[in-house]
Order: sequence, then C-alpha cells, then structure tokens
Amino acid sequence: MAEVLFIGLSLASILLLIALGLSITYGTMGVINMAHGELVMFGAYVTVLGITHLHLNFFLCLPLAFIVTGAIGYAIERLLVRRLYGRLVDTLLATWGVSIILIALIRVEFGLAFFGVHVPGLGPGLQNVPIPAILSQPVALWEGFVFQPYRSFIIVATLGLVVLTWWILSRTAFGMQVLAVSRNRTMAACCGINDKRVNAWTFAYGSGLAGIAGVMLSGFKTVFPDMGTPFVIDGFLVVVVGGVGSLLGTTVSSGILGELTGFIASVTNDILARAVVFAVIIAIIITRPRGLFAFKGR
Amino acid sequence: MRLNQRTLELAGYLLFLAVILALPLILDTFWLNRISKYLVYGMLGVAISLAWGYAGILNLGQGLFFGMGAYMLAMSLKLASTTSLNQGSDKPVPDFMLWNAEPGAITDLCCINKGSFLWIPFQNQWFGVAMGVVMPTLLALALGFAMFRARITGVYVAMITLALALLVRLLVIDAQPMFNGFNGLTDLGWFAIGETSFDPYQVHTYYLIAIALGAVLLMGRWLVNSKGGLILQAIRDDENRARYLGYDVARYKIFFFAVSAAIAGLAGMLYVIAAEFASPTFMNISFSVSMVVWAAVGGRNSLLGACIGAILLNVVEASVSETESLLNAWQLIIGAIFILFVVFLPRGLAGLGTALTERIGRQAR
Repeated sequence: MAEVLFIGLSLASILLLIALGLSITYGTMGVINMAHGELVMFGAYVTVLGITHLHLNFFLCLPLAFIVTGAIGYAIERLLVRRLYGRLVDTLLATWGVSIILIALIRVEFGLAFFGVHVPGLGPGLQNVPIPAILSQPVALWEGFVFQPYRSFIIVATLGLVVLTWWILSRTAFGMQVLAVSRNRTMAACCGINDKRVNAWTFAYGSGLAGIAGVMLSGFKTVFPDMGTPFVIDGFLVVVVGGVGSLLGTTVSSGILGELTGFIASVTNDILARAVVFAVIIAIIITRPRGLFAFKGR
Repeated sequence: MRLNQRTLELAGYLLFLAVILALPLILDTFWLNRISKYLVYGMLGVAISLAWGYAGILNLGQGLFFGMGAYMLAMSLKLASTTSLNQGSDKPVPDFMLWNAEPGAITDLCCINKGSFLWIPFQNQWFGVAMGVVMPTLLALALGFAMFRARITGVYVAMITLALALLVRLLVIDAQPMFNGFNGLTDLGWFAIGETSFDPYQVHTYYLIAIALGAVLLMGRWLVNSKGGLILQAIRDDENRARYLGYDVARYKIFFFAVSAAIAGLAGMLYVIAAEFASPTFMNISFSVSMVVWAAVGGRNSLLGACIGAILLNVVEASVSETESLLNAWQLIIGAIFILFVVFLPRGLAGLGTALTERIGRQAR
C-alpha cells in the first residue's frame, strides 16, 4: 500500500511540476500556452547538451534551464502573446504554432542540419540523461517498500518550487503586482503598475518553471523532440480541474489525479488508469466548470 | 453590393466543385487517391468551421468523431476481407481475434473472445455505414446535452472534448482483442455498393468522395444560411442577448455540434475507403489540432475557406515531404504561417478573399 501511495505521489509531483508553470501563465495571465510542453522539452535538451558538451553537473542544469526557457518565454511574450491579450482561443492557436516551430528547431538542430553540421544531442533521435550517482541507488527500507531517491528528490524539489512560487506571489511586491494585473489589468495599470512589464516577467517565470520540469523529467524519461505534447495536455487538465488562478487548487488537483492514477493502475493497468482519470476530469469540468478551488470573482 | 458578395460566394462554390470534379481529367490514379484523402480532410475543415466558426464551439477532439466513423466502417470492411474469410470458419473472423482468442474458444464471432459478439451485426456493410454516422451523432448529442445545458463555453468545451478524445483513444488501444489495439484495423476489404466495389485506386472512388464533399458543402451552406443558422451566429456573437430574446441557446448549439460530428463521422468512413486502414492515431490530439489549424488558415468563418485551407496545406505538405530536411523546413514554415494568420489574418484566406473582392467592387463603382 505504501508503495502504491508513493507511486501516486511521484506521479502527482510530475503533474504538479508541469502544471505549476501553466498555473501561472494560464491561471494568472489568461494565456493558454500550448508551447509549454515544448519549453519542458527544451529544458530536457539543455540537460542533454549541458552534460555532453559543457560537462555540467546535473544539478547545475536546473538554473541553466530555468534561464534558457525563461528567456524563450520572455521572447514569446514580447513578440507574440502581447498582441493577443483578451483573445484566449487565439493564444491557444498561436502558441500551438510556436510549439511546432520549437519542435522543428530541435529536429533541424537550429538550422545547422541544413548545412550538414550535426550536433551530438540534437536532431530527431532519442537522447538519454544519466541521473546523478547519489540519486540513482534505490534503498529497500522495509519489506515491500523501496525508497527511490530520484523520485523522492523530484517530490521534494517540486514542493520547494510550489512554496517558492507561493512566496513570490503573496509575499513580494512583484507578486502583488502580478495578482493585481491578473484580477483587473486596466485598474492595475491605472494604479501605476507597468502591466506589460509584469506580464512579460510573469510569462518568463512560468516558462522557466517548465525548463526546470524538463531537467527533472529528463532523468527518467527518454528525451526526444515530440516529448512535450502529452505534458501540456495533462498540465492543462490539472490546472482546469484545480481551478484557474488557484495555486492551491493546482497542487491539490495534481495530488488527487496522481494518487488516483497510481491507485487504479495498481488494480488494473496504466492505460485504463489514465482513461478513468480522464473520465473523472470530464465529470469534474462538467459539474464544476470553474474547478475545485475557483477564485471567487465578480 | 450585398447581392454581389453573395453571387461571388456562390461562384466560388461552383468553381471549387467544378475543379474537384474535373481533376480526374489531368491526374493519374495515384495522385487521385492522394487528393481524395485531402478532400476528406477538407470535409473535416467544413465540420470544424461549422462548429467553431459558426457556433463558437472549439472542439479539440473532432478526431474522436472522425475515428468513430472510421472504425465503424473499417469493422465491416475487415469482415469483408478475404483474410477474415479464410480463418478456418465458415463465417468471417478477423485475423487478430485468433491471436487474442480465449483459450479453447471456437473460431466464431459469437464467442472467440469477450467482446467479439459486438462485431456480429457488422457482417452487413450497411450496418457499419449507418453506425459510422449514428454513433458520432449520438455521442455528440449526449455530450452537447451535458455541456450546453450546463452552459459550459469556450475553453472548457475545448478541454472536455480533448479529454474525451484521449479517453476513447486509450480505451481503443487497451481493447486489443476487440479492435487490435495500437495496430488498428488493416487489411480491409473494399467498400461496395451492389456489384460495384470501390478500389481506392480507381476513378469512381475519387468521384464518390468528391461528390460526398460537394453535398456536405452545399448542405452546410444551406444550414448556416437557414433561420436556425442565423440564430446560431447570433448566439455565437452574444449568447446572453440571444437567450434574453427567447431562443433556446443550448438546443441550437447541440444541433450544430451533432451535425458537425456527423460530418466528421462521414469523413472518417470516406477516409477508410480511400486509405484502407483505421488507427487509434485518428484520435491523437495533434491530428485534432491540425484540423483546427487548417480551418484557421483557410478561414474559420467560411465553410468553403476552411475546406480549401485543409486541402491546400496538405497538398503542399505532401509535395515537400519527399525529402526529410525539406519536411522539417516545412514544419518551421507552417508554424510561422500559422502564427501570422492567427495574429494578422484571423479570418484566414477566405477573409482575405472577401476583403479583396470588396475592394475591387468599390473601385468598380
């Protein structure tokens, strides 16, 4: 039973890791960023390239990926998303275009492949990232329960990121501005907040979180150009179920959905477990379209 | 001027129909088979445009209805294939069912495995054809009823349809003995009307699909210009106002959502006739989103525009996909085109066409 709970917790932490960035870009900014999964993928490739070319330590890839994907996110906001505020469905479509481009960029090795130059670690093939030695040895704690250090590291790191995000949003001046802009953009601008600047940095932060998720996922998932697409869908469903704009909602809903998947998978199989979870998600969205923990707005 | 615009639109439809009917004069059967698949995609563009452009329902799971139509007909055609007839029984049995048979079961649809009895009525091809439209329509009615009665709109509709498509896709993949799981249904027989069988590489199969597309286009145009279609557009533009004017908003949305699903189901069946397989990849999210991309580039507010957008994008993609680096470059270009269309031309190619004809009309006066 403890093993099932742990697997569920581990699944939940991955969902939360991906949904956290979306919870910010979608929840507080009202932008559906379909390229989020590709930013996760970029984070994973930063790890691959960082380890093979720069001989970086795995842990050093975390801040590096945060900076790289954050910068990409900043650029996406400045060049594209900025023109689409208030056109929710159009943000979905335009960022889908971005995600196609990001995938193609990795496939063509940022255009180098056209000139016959090939960079190890890029291109359409599969990549693997070795996990750090100190996290790779499972320890059997007691009969029937094996302590998985890497999974535990992900769980702890994810919770750390949630606390950090919560602290930024609710305890710093910047976070206050983000909340003000998300509640009422025009009013916030009237009060002297530079809403464009706030939006650009919020988007960059959400994208940076995607990069961190990518680094951690690269440790136990195969890295390839199309890996991001399923993540973004799971992430959105988690955010919508939790309630748009609620960090607590996202955390709780990823916990519920992760544990549910783990539990059902233990009695049937992985495929059916996911199917049941989708059914639960549909039921929740139909009965409570605003999610489990919706912000009570006017 | 108004009348002029309408005449031009009608001329556009007639020109399009004339072109697709005249194509067999210049193309060989290999290309006709390819084009007939793209005409099916064009039909999906019409379905998306009807739901999204006219009813404001963004369905990110249209592939579900397409896949249902495809599987229903493919089940019938699978039973009609010679392989199914030669499995050691006097009645047809799909080959994959023998690989997944219950131990000791007799080779017959009734009991070779747990779900196989559901295949029995599909021995009649017309049952498969009927189910290919009825099943998507019924599902859309039920789903529409649940969603639109609860006044769910916008992104939430997109999320629900998306999750449902993923759900059904997983169930199909999981049902290995029933639907051959991830491999889908291949090695199918030919669709037949009476004595005429539709070999996908023959001209009359192309005509079957082209005429079906023409019928769907004209029916769609008639629907959106009918009174119900006008009310639907009013609902799309301001749902609350339409509600206060006394219209039953949900009923119109459910109806058009179901029509869109039926068209997608029909498209699925035609695709099976042209491509000779049905696969769970039809229910992939990327395929459903591609349909939305086609409609957006062609023009979501125009049935014909969405249809042409789908065909054009696929023709170009097919011609560049011969070499891999060109295909990757095309992915970069299509991503950029798509972003530019969403940001600068939200009404798509059709909107561009309308703007041009209006400008010419103004200069002529």
